[in-house]
Amino acid sequence: MNREALQHPLYVMVHPFNGYWDLKYERSQKTSLIISFGILFMLILTNVLGNQYSGFLVNMNNPRYLNSLLEAVYVLVPVLFWCVANWSLTTLMDGEGKFTEIFITTCFALVPIVLINFPWIWISNFISAQESSFYYFFKNFAILWSGLLLYVGIMTVHQFSPSKTIGTILLTLLAMAFMAFLTLLFFSLVQQMIAFVSTIYQEIVLRR
Amino acid sequence: MVARIKKLRTGLLALCCLVSLGLGGELALAESAAPSYNYSYWGNAVAAPSAYQATTLITGASSGAGPFNNPQDIQVTADKQIYVLDSGNNRFVILDQDYKSVKTVDAFQFKGKAEKFNNPQGIYVTKQKEIYVADTGNKRIVHLDSDFKAVGIIEAPKSELLQANFEFQPVRVAVDKADRIYVMSAGVFDGFMEFGADGVFKSFIGANRVHVDAVEYFWKSISTKAQREQMVMYTPTEFTNLDINDEGFLYATNGDDYGDPIKKLNAQGADILRREGYYKPSGDLMYSTRSGGAPRLVDIDVSDSEIYAVLDASRGRVFTYNGDGYLLYIFGGIGNRMGEFNTPVAIEHSGDDILVLDQALGEITVFQTTEYGRTLNSAVRSYYNGDEEMASQEFSKVVNLNANMEYAYAGIGKAYLRQGEYKESAEYFERSMDRTNYSKAFLLYRKEVLRGHFSTIMTALIALVALWLGLRMYRKMKARKKVELH
Repeated sequence: MNREALQHPLYVMVHPFNGYWDLKYERSQKTSLIISFGILFMLILTNVLGNQYSGFLVNMNNPRYLNSLLEAVYVLVPVLFWCVANWSLTTLMDGEGKFTEIFITTCFALVPIVLINFPWIWISNFISAQESSFYYFFKNFAILWSGLLLYVGIMTVHQFSPSKTIGTILLTLLAMAFMAFLTLLFFSLVQQMIAFVSTIYQEIVLRR
Repeated sequence: MVARIKKLRTGLLALCCLVSLGLGGELALAESAAPSYNYSYWGNAVAAPSAYQATTLITGASSGAGPFNNPQDIQVTADKQIYVLDSGNNRFVILDQDYKSVKTVDAFQFKGKAEKFNNPQGIYVTKQKEIYVADTGNKRIVHLDSDFKAVGIIEAPKSELLQANFEFQPVRVAVDKADRIYVMSAGVFDGFMEFGADGVFKSFIGANRVHVDAVEYFWKSISTKAQREQMVMYTPTEFTNLDINDEGFLYATNGDDYGDPIKKLNAQGADILRREGYYKPSGDLMYSTRSGGAPRLVDIDVSDSEIYAVLDASRGRVFTYNGDGYLLYIFGGIGNRMGEFNTPVAIEHSGDDILVLDQALGEITVFQTTEYGRTLNSAVRSYYNGDEEMASQEFSKVVNLNANMEYAYAGIGKAYLRQGEYKESAEYFERSMDRTNYSKAFLLYRKEVLRGHFSTIMTALIALVALWLGLRMYRKMKARKKVELH
């Protein structure tokens, strides 16, 4: 892994069209995949540190209920859901992206969130309540930037037209909702079944 | 063998030590067990030392006036005379400072006729010791002077504001300095009835707002008029009690589950209660439906420095707030021990003491401050009077007695802020979770630091820039040399 590969996420940030094109057709997929996992890890780290060390004025979390593992889940599950939903949809909609490519695209789109939020963890310790609007502005700005990157990335990786990309993204969100519903339903059913079996077991044991 | 015995002995010793440790631990626990609680910034119930403890129980028999029967209201004057409205016996009893009966009034003369009370529900005593009794059974308000002679009687008023079938059932009464009379009448949803000093009905003030359920509103909007008439009407919640402070503001409680159960009404009937605390004043925050559900506030008592206490009948607890709406302390409960009640109905303060009247038991529990309560009260009073220095000292004592009292840290922080100790101030505000004041203190601290170290910061910055420029030039030169070499 050379220096250029490590700098590529930054290049994608400012040149999304060229950057994503290179990512799909020029770069080694293995390197990109490793970098993607690195980005996800850094995002988790940023969120955990942000919850713990953000300035008092902007940190509304109850320190008693901070859970680093849950923070990891809050990052990994949506990304995974997004990738699975997008891949399932685009295979039916003539998208050219493979699952790995979609995953890499999504992870590379998250770079602005890491790069903007991380310094703000420390800066937020030195701001007053009036200046906290800058903090919130930059947070929203990071999300918008990432959203734009994701849009361009999906468009490039599937070779879609802009309007089709928007349609796909909306459908992907819908599919994610469906998946969440199905997952919850599945868990709830499994729970019911376990409860049923354990009740029967108890009944038998106590009857004796 | 010896070794074994030795081993056994050490084992026994260790066991003894462990047991005694356990015992000691338990004892200490019993001592420090939470007798009371408070709600933290995060809304959790946290342990707190008790601010008040029950010291005396006044019954009708102990006062020498004969047993009370279903008493409904009490009122304490500035010279600590207690007026107990003994509703079941249709009388009121005046107790002196030692809780002994000095006078019982069950009848009065009006226009040459002897009159009696009939199930009176509310009593109010003014500064001049004139007495107003809400004589509910007779549907009137009786105004007696300090010699217990009737001065006037307010009967059911006639006004175009009132409906034709209006029934006047006064249950609570309060009178301001200008002798305006505020009456809470049962079955009235329009607020309190205000009467002039001459006993003429003026208007309603301070009606509660109607809470409309969105789903119900939808059904109502699509149903016919005949259907609508069959449905339950939306009516504002009734008030449950009222009190008046020295400035003439009405403090009222109501049974509102959605809105604000405690209100401070100005002369126009607008709610001006300050709700700056960690959550708005409303009694218990956490409760289970099994223990009686949402708090049912039945009485309010406002004392000096805008401190007010409300009585929750569902769990028999007294909640005391300061003028900003911070919860200071909680005491009381339903039960059979001293300091617990069966059916509490009324609360009053007598100096720093708090009196709670129990309707079914017919007794009054007198609560006196503990050291913690005294310190906290004096801290809040000093702060209210603008003596931040004194308040800070008292709040420091409060914090020593109860480190969980987040509000007290803000009091200390404010004193530091005034003294110009911005760093300490910011630290205390952070402990108090007071973000607004923290921001103020922090801004001043930051300015102070930046000013103090301006030269150092600037020198470091310039040095860094120079270093960076130098490094760049050096690299360029090196690169050029390489090119020349090749």
